[in-house]
Amino acid sequence: MTREPLPDTDPPARATDLRLAGAWLARHDLTYTRPTPLLANRLAVRERARLAAQVILAVLIIASALAATSAFGGSQPHRPLPLLALTALVAGLLLAQSLLDRWVRRVDQRAGATLSRRAAHLIHPGWRTVLGRPYAVFAVATFTGAMALAASALTIPDPTVRQLAVILLIGLLGVTAINAMQLRHLLRYPVVAEDEESLTADVIMRVEDARDLTTPSVQWSLPMVLLFGTAPGWLSAAAVAYLILGLAAYIALRARTPSSTTVARRAMSTR
Amino acid sequence: MIVIDAASPVPPFEQLRAQLARQIQDRTLTVGARLPTIRNLAADLGLAVNTVGRAYRELEEAGLIETRGRAGSFVSAAGEEGRERARRAAADYAAVIASVGIDTGEAIRIVQAALTSGTSAPASS
Repeated sequence: MTREPLPDTDPPARATDLRLAGAWLARHDLTYTRPTPLLANRLAVRERARLAAQVILAVLIIASALAATSAFGGSQPHRPLPLLALTALVAGLLLAQSLLDRWVRRVDQRAGATLSRRAAHLIHPGWRTVLGRPYAVFAVATFTGAMALAASALTIPDPTVRQLAVILLIGLLGVTAINAMQLRHLLRYPVVAEDEESLTADVIMRVEDARDLTTPSVQWSLPMVLLFGTAPGWLSAAAVAYLILGLAAYIALRARTPSSTTVARRAMSTR
Repeated sequence: MIVIDAASPVPPFEQLRAQLARQIQDRTLTVGARLPTIRNLAADLGLAVNTVGRAYRELEEAGLIETRGRAGSFVSAAGEEGRERARRAAADYAAVIASVGIDTGEAIRIVQAALTSGTSAPASS
């Protein structure tokens, strides 16, 4: 990695980023690698992008809950306006996520342009490396479970429950699209590295981000927020069972799968 | 791993071509291995698409890689076939040496002379 001193424009902020980059390297058993401005910059941007992505998901949950309450707040049983507003908001959040990904890519491009050496492996890490089969199966299972809950609520004759199920489906489709967009970005954006260690760091970042994507915050919370207590007892019980099973699977997955560092090192050794 | 050094006097396309050729020849890249797309490799290495395209084109002209339409570029079997032919010829040569009773040292000198002159010198005792 680059060893030059920083051309600082904002020394305190850069020093903080460098310190955090040092801690990140230590956490990933890269203690012999010096935190460089490139890595510090990339990690700082990534943290902000992660935070913004979490805000996007939180907005989606809150908007779905608001759409659910306003859809049934009036005298008319079916009010299409909240559904349309939620759909428009989902489209807006997708756009926001796309802009966020573009921002990360642009910062990476700028960082890459400053490198005198640029390194890449000939085999780009695919989804099996970055996400891994167990995490992919888990993500598909949690999405399918949440969709199945929404679909089963659609079969209930009560119009209130059915409209809640529609809101749930809109929210879930929105978060599926946002996650798919993030994963596509992770798999396709160019490598920014100048040597073997920074290539490893690049793969670790991708693996960490991909694992974060599979944390099903919206998939777990939306059925509970929208259906629990409103739907018949069996559906609420199913929602609780889905949450508990999902949580147990998530804990087992975290405990039993190799760390992102191990995955990255294995990926590098086979290239 | 492919490394492009912007400060090097060697043009980037040549750096890339030479590193790929070396990896194919020392079998780090095996026959049939798929190379990344020109666009992806250019993005990863921060190079222009034309630069990577030129390196690929020269490797293709040298018979080291082949492009299979939209499927992409692959390490060609041509280099491997050449090695196999050389191995067969060496086995035939070893059989001739054994049959005419030439010792190993002289047999190697004959091969060296042939390689140096670039001609297939007949074995003479």
